[in-house]
Amino acid sequence: MTQTSPVYSIEIEDLTKEFTIGPTTVRALRGVTARIVDGSFQFVLGPSGSGKSTLLYLLGALDRPSGGSITIDGRLINELSREEQDEFRRTEVGFVFQSFNLLGNLTALDNVLAPFLPIGVSGELRQRAEDLLVHVGLGDRQRHRPAELSGGEQQRVAIARALLKRPKLVLADEPTGELDHRTGAEVMGYLRDLRDELGTTVVVVTHDESYIEPGDATLRLRDGQVVSD
Amino acid sequence: MWRFAIQNLVSRPLRSLLALAGLSVAIAGMVGLFSVAEGIDRMVKDTFGRIPGLAIMQAGAPLPLFSRIPASWAEEVAEIDGVGVVNPEVWSRVNLIEGERVIAPPRFLFGTSIAERQKLKKDVYRDALVEGRFLDQTDRHQLHTVISRQIAEEHEVGIGDQLSINGDEFTIVGIYHCGQLMLDISIIVDIDVVRRLTRFEPNSASAFYVEPDGTVENEVLAERIREKFRGREITSGGNIVGAMATGNPLIDLLLAIQNWLAGATPAAESRAVDAKAEPIEVRTSDDWAERLDEFSADLDVFLGVMTSIGVLIAVLSIINTMLMSVTERIIDFGILKANGWSRRDVMMLITCESAVLGVTGGVIGCTVGLVGTEFINTTWPDRIQLYASPGLLIFALFFSAMLGITSGLYPAFWAMRLSPMEAIRRG
Repeated sequence: MTQTSPVYSIEIEDLTKEFTIGPTTVRALRGVTARIVDGSFQFVLGPSGSGKSTLLYLLGALDRPSGGSITIDGRLINELSREEQDEFRRTEVGFVFQSFNLLGNLTALDNVLAPFLPIGVSGELRQRAEDLLVHVGLGDRQRHRPAELSGGEQQRVAIARALLKRPKLVLADEPTGELDHRTGAEVMGYLRDLRDELGTTVVVVTHDESYIEPGDATLRLRDGQVVSD
Repeated sequence: MWRFAIQNLVSRPLRSLLALAGLSVAIAGMVGLFSVAEGIDRMVKDTFGRIPGLAIMQAGAPLPLFSRIPASWAEEVAEIDGVGVVNPEVWSRVNLIEGERVIAPPRFLFGTSIAERQKLKKDVYRDALVEGRFLDQTDRHQLHTVISRQIAEEHEVGIGDQLSINGDEFTIVGIYHCGQLMLDISIIVDIDVVRRLTRFEPNSASAFYVEPDGTVENEVLAERIREKFRGREITSGGNIVGAMATGNPLIDLLLAIQNWLAGATPAAESRAVDAKAEPIEVRTSDDWAERLDEFSADLDVFLGVMTSIGVLIAVLSIINTMLMSVTERIIDFGILKANGWSRRDVMMLITCESAVLGVTGGVIGCTVGLVGTEFINTTWPDRIQLYASPGLLIFALFFSAMLGITSGLYPAFWAMRLSPMEAIRRG
């Protein structure tokens, strides 16, 4: 077991991931080693097919690596049981996707509450969800369905959903990819606010480097390998 | 979870409605089909519940219509301890009423000994009289009849009117109403009149109805009667087709073959043969009910097969609906899993959706089935009596819910195994 580091909240060691597509084996990650500082705003950069999103999904325990390890706050994520991974995602990780990924038949409010539907939604939780929607400027859009919201509004709902669980880690996969620059900047601002207010570690996968600010950490990938950090 | 499941179904109204329709039709069909068997069962219980006595018939005869026993045995039966009244009966199928061929529902000339019938303490027909009077001694050898209200209404006749039966003009003296298909088919006439008109042997009867005097149990009395006649043999009367003509060519042919094989003799008479031979059957109302239960059980098998076909279609319909629904929502399940939903949660959601379909389909199916049986009973009261019991409806509802849940299991299992990462990437 890798020892917990007081400095780095996430330690990635020699991480590999291979996909088999028919007779072909695709090596998406080829021995990635990196450290992500607790409470940092970490960008993962690189061209399409470089393995950015794969790394992000492995960090979120959405998939298991082919080799290597991921340690978050002293826990080996890749060795968690399926139930522990579910619990990890439900309570500690917030995802924000490029395509917003809201459930089309739920209202904005219910989308924010979606992670908690299986275990039941308390009045206190519902109130927090409403407050979060107000916080991201959607106080008057809570009963609207995704189809009735703009792209920026949908992404703000997705951010509110990620914030509801007060996550230790937010993983954002091209969160501004389908937004104009002004709206993208707004979304990025909400993520920075989250980091500033809750000390959350935010990992953003993007190929748009214009959102990077001084003090942000970067990790560059190419062909499944780290080229600089 | 349930609210989410219902929202998912409502958000795809056409597909959900089609799945519901498929299931509802299957459940309604199941209720309808099994209400046939339950209707028969209830009719049998109700009918024989009104007839407390014993029926004596020729051994092996399924119904009095196919039975021949010597009329003289009635006196011997009457001498047995425990017997109150012995009423000889002659049954014959009616072929024509008012010149019209009688196919369904069937009608029967029921010849009864008026003198003996008047001694009965409980008479299912006399007790059900709604108009006119019952047969009395003045009706002996007369073409007088008591008919059911169904028959009277069907032919628009009343007390004092003439009714042509098999070409003979009968005067209606009374109208009864039992409200049971198996009872309201009788056209009650003096026994000698039926014998004469149907060329039934004068020394024979179709059956005896025995009213116990109440001093012994029916089963004990039945055994005493069997014991009395054990070892005797009945040889059926001469030209059996002419004597027993039922009006059904197929049955008449079978009867003729039966008599030819048995070496029929000209008159129904008895003689001593094998000491253990049982020439007669003595049936209580329970025996009748058991016999008809056997028939009902066979019917249940048939109805089960028919229902299974409908149910299979419904199952495939739900599986198809849920599979398509799951396929459409692969991305949704990926999102939910990314947000901490476990495989079990996803499976539970889909199972909830299929359970909602199952329960709703069950409620609709049961309602349609119930309304359908009532409609049929009201529209053809003299032809069929269906009965959808509360037990049947509860079973159908439960069955439908189980059907919905089990049909959704495969799609749920399929969705459960989807990789969230793959699903999200599709988005």
